[in-house]
Amino acid sequence: MLSKKLSKVALALVVTLFLGACATQQQATTTTKGDDAYTGTETVKYLADGVPDRVFFSTNKSDLTSAATATLAKQATYLKANPTLNVVLEGHADERGTREYNLALGERRATAAKNYLISNGVAANRIKVISYGKEKPANPASNVLAWSQNRRTVTVKTN
Amino acid sequence: MQKSLKISFIAHFIILIISSITLPFLMGRVQAPLVISVDLVQIGDRTNIPYAPKVSNGEKTDKKIKDRVVTEQAPPKIVPKEKPDAVPLPENIKKIKELLEKRQNPVKVEDLTKQTSEFEKKEIFDPNKISALIDKSKKDNTEANNKPSLEATQSQQKNIVTSKLTITQEDAIKAQIFKCWNIPIGLPYNENLTVRIKIKLNPDGSLVSSEILDQARMNTAGQTYYKILAESALRAVKLCNPLKVPSTGYEKWKEMQLNFDAKEMLKG
Amino acid sequence: MRYKIFKIIVLFFILTTNSFALVSVDITRGNLDPLPTAISDFYLDSKLGDNIKNLKLETKIPELIQNNLTRSGLFFALEKKSFIQRPEPAHNKPRFEDWAFIKTQVLVTGKISLEKEGRLRVEFKLWDVVSATELSALAFYTTPDNWRRVSHMISDKIYERLTGEKGYFDSRIIYVSETGPKVDRKKRLAIMDQDGYGVKYLTLGNELVLTPRFSPASQHVTYMSYFKNLPRVYLLNIETGLQDLVGDFPGMTFAPRFSPDGKKIIMSFAEEGNSDIYTMDIKTRVVEKLTDHPSIDTSPSYSPDGSYIAFNSDRSGFQQIYTMKSDGTNIKRISFGEGLYGTPVWSPRGDLIAFTKLYKNKFYIGVMRSDGSGERLLTENYYQEAPSWAPNGRVLIFYRETPTDSGGRGGGAKLWSIDLTGYNERLIQTPTDASDPSWSGLLSGK
Repeated sequence: MLSKKLSKVALALVVTLFLGACATQQQATTTTKGDDAYTGTETVKYLADGVPDRVFFSTNKSDLTSAATATLAKQATYLKANPTLNVVLEGHADERGTREYNLALGERRATAAKNYLISNGVAANRIKVISYGKEKPANPASNVLAWSQNRRTVTVKTN
Repeated sequence: MQKSLKISFIAHFIILIISSITLPFLMGRVQAPLVISVDLVQIGDRTNIPYAPKVSNGEKTDKKIKDRVVTEQAPPKIVPKEKPDAVPLPENIKKIKELLEKRQNPVKVEDLTKQTSEFEKKEIFDPNKISALIDKSKKDNTEANNKPSLEATQSQQKNIVTSKLTITQEDAIKAQIFKCWNIPIGLPYNENLTVRIKIKLNPDGSLVSSEILDQARMNTAGQTYYKILAESALRAVKLCNPLKVPSTGYEKWKEMQLNFDAKEMLKG
Repeated sequence: MRYKIFKIIVLFFILTTNSFALVSVDITRGNLDPLPTAISDFYLDSKLGDNIKNLKLETKIPELIQNNLTRSGLFFALEKKSFIQRPEPAHNKPRFEDWAFIKTQVLVTGKISLEKEGRLRVEFKLWDVVSATELSALAFYTTPDNWRRVSHMISDKIYERLTGEKGYFDSRIIYVSETGPKVDRKKRLAIMDQDGYGVKYLTLGNELVLTPRFSPASQHVTYMSYFKNLPRVYLLNIETGLQDLVGDFPGMTFAPRFSPDGKKIIMSFAEEGNSDIYTMDIKTRVVEKLTDHPSIDTSPSYSPDGSYIAFNSDRSGFQQIYTMKSDGTNIKRISFGEGLYGTPVWSPRGDLIAFTKLYKNKFYIGVMRSDGSGERLLTENYYQEAPSWAPNGRVLIFYRETPTDSGGRGGGAKLWSIDLTGYNERLIQTPTDASDPSWSGLLSGK
């Protein structure tokens, strides 16, 4: 009786181990590029002292990293302090993708930044959005660093 | 009773006459019956013909064949084939048919070797194995042929030549035509596009004549693919003139039917 | 006794029907080499005036034909200097032995004469030198300055007569001409004949223009422009040069194409981070929304009969290819291989969909059947995308970019073409860098 129960438990354990392994395996294959958002300051310009004008993204992604939200929070504070300013958020993509999809991806990145600003109290009618896809790289080189610097949303004052 | 049997025989006889006249027409010219001679498939030395198209062009043709895309065209038109009315055969014929089938065993053997030569199998097929098979069929043949031949000689002289080339001879001819045939690349691979060309050769292998056997198809509207393929096949035959032919057995190969089928090449 | 006679007679008939003595040999292989072709100079009718004679059409037309046929990779043109027979007798009564001697299989000859009212008559003949027969004979009537189109149409006829495929030489290509540094590229719409001749610029280059497409009748062009810094889809009439905004969308519209009947423009509209596919009827201006999903849906492509649309969507998490009915229903994913798939384009023959694939940091141009099966990659490169089909569904044009160094130097984009078999990869000469090519249909309209 006991041995039967034990073997059942053992079987259940083995199965769950297998499933667990499978699950982690799947996860490993879906995250292709991982987190490769640019974290440097080389191409960064400033809206004002201590307020960077841009945020960066991982390959194929439009999620805001913690560095990105931190920057956007600073931008929001700055914009609330200067209520007459209007901005346009320019979304960009790196060159390692098809042109039309990159246009859409740029728009998504710009929108992601815009929504964060709005949720932080900036009025929606002060913010416009435009995508340039991969047409206007910040860094024209063809290497991983340049590509990471090009995956960005830039906040530009319009007045 | 006697009378009705007579009438039955006569009626059957008439049907047989009609079918014997019409059937050969469908297949081609009415051949004069010839002597049944037992002709064995002689396996020459191992087939050593370099398949020039593959060998000389190297990987290029291999790649071409591998990478050909399977382009799907509109499904081929299904032309309803007209079945000639089946003539019910009397019982006795079935028995004789069985004997004849046995006689045709050599064909089976040939198919086997044909396959290996076409796909360029590296393994050496053992001639001894095959000849062993043939010896067997030889026995069957002599048994099967004894009866009919006796019957035949008793009445008229009916001659049938089971003329076949040796494997090596056939390969040699194939290899030459392969080199000469420039296949039109735009043809759909899944339509029935087989061009049958009958050629007549002089003893030195030069071409006497070549003709397309499905002449009607050449002029039918909507059969442009067939026409284009047929023209390319005719060019191949003429470009390969004169063919290198065996030094003996002229009777066997003086007339040949070449069946051009580009399906394998187009399908890739 | 009776029975014996009966047996004999029956046997007689069976055996005679089996007496088919012909040796049968199966020819299942041949070669796919380019067909040796001789294209003779045409000859001029003596009654032609000097103004025509000065055009030198008797050499120019065959030269164009030869370039077309050679570029297709399916024909091998023999050198003129080896020709024995002169153009006039070659056209009227070719001595096939002379032509067989130089090892050609087919021969093209022609005659140029005058029709009434100053129109030109260009006649050509196609001969089977090996079988010594005439394969084709046609005449074209046109004005003298239209000789290039006649040459292309003749090329199409020859191509079709010998390969079984429809031709593609009487067509044009539209593309984006690029100049300047990568960070500030100047882009202009350009059209040219399929052989690279006659490049004309349709826009000035003051704003970015992207992804142009011909209308089926080739009289209109649709493209995306950043005119007034607003990325939108436009419609341009090639004849008049008039440019119209397509629709009145409150956000970015992009990736435009025409429907096969030319009545609609299909495109993507991006809003709030979501891109969906819309159509707009050009006449009625009625807008229809086809996809409704928070993912990016773009790069639509109609099947040639207009009943289906292939498009690019990342609704699965990554860029893949989908098909749907032209009313937006029945959405099916068709790409399942490893990597990212984009820019699906339906072949004019309806059998295949070409695409761009990104896998392990390399770009591929490939084709698959419309159900996604039979995926075949034709070429691999550091960067290439956006294939477009020639009108016969056999040749693909696309563009490639080369990498730039850390100083931003180098780089550049060029147009390339490739045959469906993966062979005959060719650089297409353009006066400037070029990208986003799109092939028109046959100018004669089929």
